[in-house]
Amino acid sequence: MADTNSEHAPAPEGSPADQEAPSHTSVWFYAEHRDGKLEESALKLACEARVLADKFGGEVFAILVGAADLQVLPAELGPYGTDNAFIIQDAHLDAYKGETYSDVLAQLAAAGEPATVLFASTAVGTDLAPRLAARLRAAYAARYTDIDVANDGTITVRRPVHGGNAHSTAPLLKKPLVATIDTQTLSVQKAKAPAATCTIEPRIAISPRATKTRTVDFLRADPCAVCVSEAEVVIGIGKGMGHIDNLGAVEELARLLGASIGGSRRATDERWIADERRIGLTGKTISPRLYLICGISGAFHHTLSIKGSQLKVVINTDEKAPISKMADLMIVGDMQKIVPELTKQLRDVAKSTS
Amino acid sequence: MKVVVCVKHVPDSTIVKFDIVSKCLENVHYIMDPIDEISVSEALKIREKNGGDVTTLTLGPPRANEVLRTCLKMGADRAIHLVDEGSDARDPTSTASILGAYIARLPYDIILCGSESMDQANGYVGVGIAELLGLPLVTSVTRIDIFADTSSAVVHRRLRAGDREIVETPLPAVFTVDTVLTKPVYPRLRTILAGQKKEIETVGAASFATAEAEPDSTFGQPTISQPKPRLKKTATISSSLSPHERMKLIASGGVQDKGSSVVKKPPAQAAAEIIQFLINNGIISRST
Repeated sequence: MADTNSEHAPAPEGSPADQEAPSHTSVWFYAEHRDGKLEESALKLACEARVLADKFGGEVFAILVGAADLQVLPAELGPYGTDNAFIIQDAHLDAYKGETYSDVLAQLAAAGEPATVLFASTAVGTDLAPRLAARLRAAYAARYTDIDVANDGTITVRRPVHGGNAHSTAPLLKKPLVATIDTQTLSVQKAKAPAATCTIEPRIAISPRATKTRTVDFLRADPCAVCVSEAEVVIGIGKGMGHIDNLGAVEELARLLGASIGGSRRATDERWIADERRIGLTGKTISPRLYLICGISGAFHHTLSIKGSQLKVVINTDEKAPISKMADLMIVGDMQKIVPELTKQLRDVAKSTS
Repeated sequence: MKVVVCVKHVPDSTIVKFDIVSKCLENVHYIMDPIDEISVSEALKIREKNGGDVTTLTLGPPRANEVLRTCLKMGADRAIHLVDEGSDARDPTSTASILGAYIARLPYDIILCGSESMDQANGYVGVGIAELLGLPLVTSVTRIDIFADTSSAVVHRRLRAGDREIVETPLPAVFTVDTVLTKPVYPRLRTILAGQKKEIETVGAASFATAEAEPDSTFGQPTISQPKPRLKKTATISSSLSPHERMKLIASGGVQDKGSSVVKKPPAQAAAEIIQFLINNGIISRST
């Protein structure tokens, strides 16, 4: 790899620099970013990469790919122990495209020989990571929970199988390992020793040749109309709503929050919402960033289908309702009074970030 | 349109459990992976609209012929069983290599794979097959429209929050299938009976395990274990609760502490608390 401006660049095998930067111990991670800022998943991956790199005795390399504004990003990673950051900036890389991005990463990995390349299990990560692994004929593991190194140096990878009912642990037979992790399970924490992240701008061939597939258009979903199973914000209604006349207030709140309305069996039996919006064993499973649960007691068949929700805010008159055990914020009160109040205050004070 | 569909025989993960005494999986009942029901259904719909045929294919142990029988009863034209005793322990890279090398010998316009399997859920095999065969690949496909005259397709793929990307691709191509692509097809009795009688083509390992199709494994023998229990931090049990309540709380494993807080305030204050919580967690921001 030519044109590096850092002594920490991974060295080709056999070169004198081999002693300083041994190959197959570095941990790389793909850092997602938007509008000149790193995504939270990137910071979490940086922390995870640091932990792994310490196990392998190697360095952490971030990978930043895009068309502009990448130079400011490496500094954000220093506090999390990222030693180096690859910047690949080119006008052709403005929007994510699986073929192009995986080609770039494959060139990088072929020259650099990382032990592991990590991705967050986001929409981009779950498309890009296997593409890279396939290009490299590398080992691949999705949504791993642990990567450990045994005394004899064997690396083992642990991940959930059978819908999470069991875990499978297998020894890695060849490097590199390409892996994704659900960054929602990770927390952000500063590294013990912050790094002065070195920027590396490798020469990567970005062929302007047409990719095999072509993006024609995007369809942006109306967040209020989208299926609850895909929505990022969901409001759930149940028996506590009382009467269909109270639905209007919930719909107003949904519009302000950019939320899709779902509900318990009761809500669909009463015909307050369409059957497709039922959340539960006989309905949809949801995994939004926020689930606002209004007047639902939380019987097992409902709570089973909401476990993937990142944040759960519960509004219920019954403090001891089963659903309260799952709440990140438990509001003991009447949703019929709180929802209109919430809408009123929201209108004055805030706007949705999505 | 010749459609090749990769299918898998998997334990039903809605009922399977890991038994800590016997240290293995219990309640293992094999079914057709639900996502493959969707792939095969889509393939049948494509055949209905465009003509052609549907070939289903699986890499699995002898019992996996059941999943192929289901495919034939759904209406598939061909069912090919690559018999592999070791498939339970096989890593996805190796699986993709073997399937890809075999598919290379078949005529195809479209190859369908589930976006991820119910049991292993790596989401790799379809991608690996596309790479091996040098084919265009679109993942998480939610809609397929075919243009036979120009040998191309326009597909929708799933992005976050319900958004879709519309992608145009020449054929042949590989699509990995998202659950919302289509509803499963319920075949007519006539189709089921005909499928009952069709032959499943069995291919022994010797035929497909050539040096190129059987690459070095990437992972060694896996071991199954209990899922790691989620750490439950027991919050200090409130002394205001009755002894009965406290015992119940302790017996249930304690309170799952995610910094959960309970708010008992009048509506206006409660609403303000919710708003602050949403701001703290980046769901909304204060408009200046």
